[in-house]
Amino acid sequence: MPRGAEAARLRKPSQTMAVLAMCVVLIVVFSIGLNGFLTVGNLLALARNISILGILALGMAVVVIGRGLDLSQVASFAASTAIAIIIMNAGYPTGLAVLVGLVLAIVIGILNGFLISVVEMPPLLTTLASSLAVLGIIRTTAVQHYVVYLAKGHDDFLRIGGNLWNGVPVPILIFGAAAILLHLFLSRTVLGRSIYAHGDNPDAARLSGIATRPLTMMEYAISAGIGYVGGVVMIAETALMHLQVAESTLIFDVIMVVVLGGVSLVGGRGNVMSVLVGTLLIGVLLNGMTIMDMDVQTQNIIKGLVLLVAIVLDSYLHPRDEETSKQGD
Amino acid sequence: MSDIQSKAEAQAPLLRIVRGSKVYGGLHAIDGVDFELRAGEIHALLGENGAGKSTLCKAIAGAITLTSGDYLIDGQKVTFTSPQEALRGGVAMVYQESSLVPSMTVAQNLELGMEKFLTIYSKINIAATQSLQSMNFNVDPLTLVENLGTAKRQMVEIVRAVRHSARIFIFDEPTASLTPEETQHLFHLLRTLKERGAGIIFISHALEEAIDIGDRVTVLRDGKLVSTAPAKGMTRDALVRMMIGRDISASHYATHGADPDAPKPQAKRGDKVLSVENVTMGSVVKNMSFSVFDGEVVGIFGLVGAGRSEIAQIICGARKRNFLRGGMIYLRGRPVRYRVPRQAVRDGIAYITEDRKVDGFFETMTVDQNIYLGYLSSPHVRRFFYSVREMKRIADQWIKVLSISALKRSLKIVEYSGGNQQKVVVAKSLAQEPTIVIFDEPTRGVDVSAIPQIHAAIRRLAADGKAVVVISSYLPEVLAISDRVLVARGGRIVEEMSRADATEDKIMYAAIH
Repeated sequence: MPRGAEAARLRKPSQTMAVLAMCVVLIVVFSIGLNGFLTVGNLLALARNISILGILALGMAVVVIGRGLDLSQVASFAASTAIAIIIMNAGYPTGLAVLVGLVLAIVIGILNGFLISVVEMPPLLTTLASSLAVLGIIRTTAVQHYVVYLAKGHDDFLRIGGNLWNGVPVPILIFGAAAILLHLFLSRTVLGRSIYAHGDNPDAARLSGIATRPLTMMEYAISAGIGYVGGVVMIAETALMHLQVAESTLIFDVIMVVVLGGVSLVGGRGNVMSVLVGTLLIGVLLNGMTIMDMDVQTQNIIKGLVLLVAIVLDSYLHPRDEETSKQGD
Repeated sequence: MSDIQSKAEAQAPLLRIVRGSKVYGGLHAIDGVDFELRAGEIHALLGENGAGKSTLCKAIAGAITLTSGDYLIDGQKVTFTSPQEALRGGVAMVYQESSLVPSMTVAQNLELGMEKFLTIYSKINIAATQSLQSMNFNVDPLTLVENLGTAKRQMVEIVRAVRHSARIFIFDEPTASLTPEETQHLFHLLRTLKERGAGIIFISHALEEAIDIGDRVTVLRDGKLVSTAPAKGMTRDALVRMMIGRDISASHYATHGADPDAPKPQAKRGDKVLSVENVTMGSVVKNMSFSVFDGEVVGIFGLVGAGRSEIAQIICGARKRNFLRGGMIYLRGRPVRYRVPRQAVRDGIAYITEDRKVDGFFETMTVDQNIYLGYLSSPHVRRFFYSVREMKRIADQWIKVLSISALKRSLKIVEYSGGNQQKVVVAKSLAQEPTIVIFDEPTRGVDVSAIPQIHAAIRRLAADGKAVVVISSYLPEVLAISDRVLVARGGRIVEEMSRADATEDKIMYAAIH
């Protein structure tokens, strides 16, 4: 038995590898065909542009691996960073302000997890509802208009969004650090492996004795927490928080990056590498299309096509048949 | 029904499978099977769990396609890629679990899949009445299917298949959940179909039944066809010999006393560890009471719907929203009521699921990872880091204890055979070092060679002083490994027998009447 199966496994690359191959092809094509793609300046700009998306996707991946979905991630970080800016503007220490925002984001995540695991609401609707609720509450209480500006005098904080000595953007370093930490967490800790087990088969995880309810809350808290890190980088780059970001298509870009790299919505599959690869592909694609001066609509069409190709690829590489199909597929 | 053949033409085979094979992950589920079904015959298909009966039938019914081999109907080569296609080709499978829509009426169910753009209810009701009457079935077409009993549902399924002008019917253990009266009625239906010239494949675990109703009998073993012979003159002993083969002796399912090598019943039994008193829940478990002692294996036998799995799931907290309508569960004299399985695991109770695919193993993980995660899931194990070295040590230990044939440790568990998967699921729970182990159908869908190993593991647990409960709907299994046999019927424990008293007849009688 094992020999045939092994051969089958070798023949079929994982989706992550396939997308990585697409990336390489795209980079080669753009390097040859596009003037100004393969320059240090452009590559640094590319790195800066994908950092925030990548950080958000890392958080989202945790939830998706646990067979969930967090549509409230962007709304959650928009609200909590807005609060952080308000506290900073009021003259409190920067560290305290950032910490309060983080706590707020994590509380929203735990609430999501509570509704999903204890009240047993479907993740999609729960997080859709909570994103609307969070946005509504923040707009009626703290932020009258859509935009909150960071007052002058927070230069130390703004360095988070700046460059290091040779023009290396700090955000990409934060992305890298977050990726390494999350990788270690997911692959080397019991909690990380439990998230995989939970996403692979929630019923089996529960029956084995894994505390699935606290685990779910933790997954959504991590998603919101890492999302908040992305939000902090965003305000450090722009010195403002525009709440309309929560109503933009950013959340779908995040989900696309996650799914593209091979973190399947079925749960239990994919890893940090998948997220990196997905982020890279979208980053390269967007950068190339911007250099080619495509309009937003064309860019959207191409993004949509890429996602469709990735999904078709997935069902081709991992066909569902009588033997492997499960309820809920 | 124009294409139903007359009896005179019925000599040419209606269906033939020539050297049919189906390979799953390198394993032959069926291997070079030559099978033939004539028009106007009932062909009984026998074999142990995992012998390939279901695979063969699924291939015939179009649910799966053969890896190699030919499939002929009326001498014509056919390939069905879906059950719908097979139905159009005249092959209908009557599933054990009904495929009817419970919330629709009988008439609507009969029309399912053939609806016109506009449904005119008076028309479909009249058509349904006609079809039912032509088969002499006493079913009201306006009843909702959910209000029908199993036997009547089967009638509706049969009529539906006939309306699709099916000529080949496959019945997968149709009598498993029927009362004797209903079984007789079903046999009458089968004979009616047969007289109309249909070919019928009949899968059953009950050998006498197969001899009684079948014209010919085919026995499968380990995916290979052992023999096809007329049912007349066939004996139970001969069939059993063919089913289990020479290499596995009768001790494999020996009842008490039949074999000196069989594990001896425990002479001493320990303290009462678990007692269930008058537990009632929903409509399935009604006033159920029993006790379990250290160092003994209690077998619970019952037909589908007797409440055996449900009570186990209640005990270990696996059921969601399991509000009891009375009754108490005591663990060593202390009343317990678990809301989630984690609490039961903390108190040393392990429940090993009846359907490992649904809530048994983690399919994306390897054997080692599955066993180690089982160990880590225990509330008593406090670890932050996931240690590959510890994983290997624990997995090695259990692979040895349960003789799991994990040749390629890097393979995912789904690529292993049912027997190995089951052993891993068992290891996953035993790694938590439970003191009470509840096995639900421990050998369902397990290859024949793995069954004795699992049974030995169960006996060993009891010998180590653990309390073991084995829930099974397979009589020989209950008889082979239990120190005490409980029989569940209608949500109650209706009969308790010692190992010496228990016989197949007595247990079956208690389970049915």
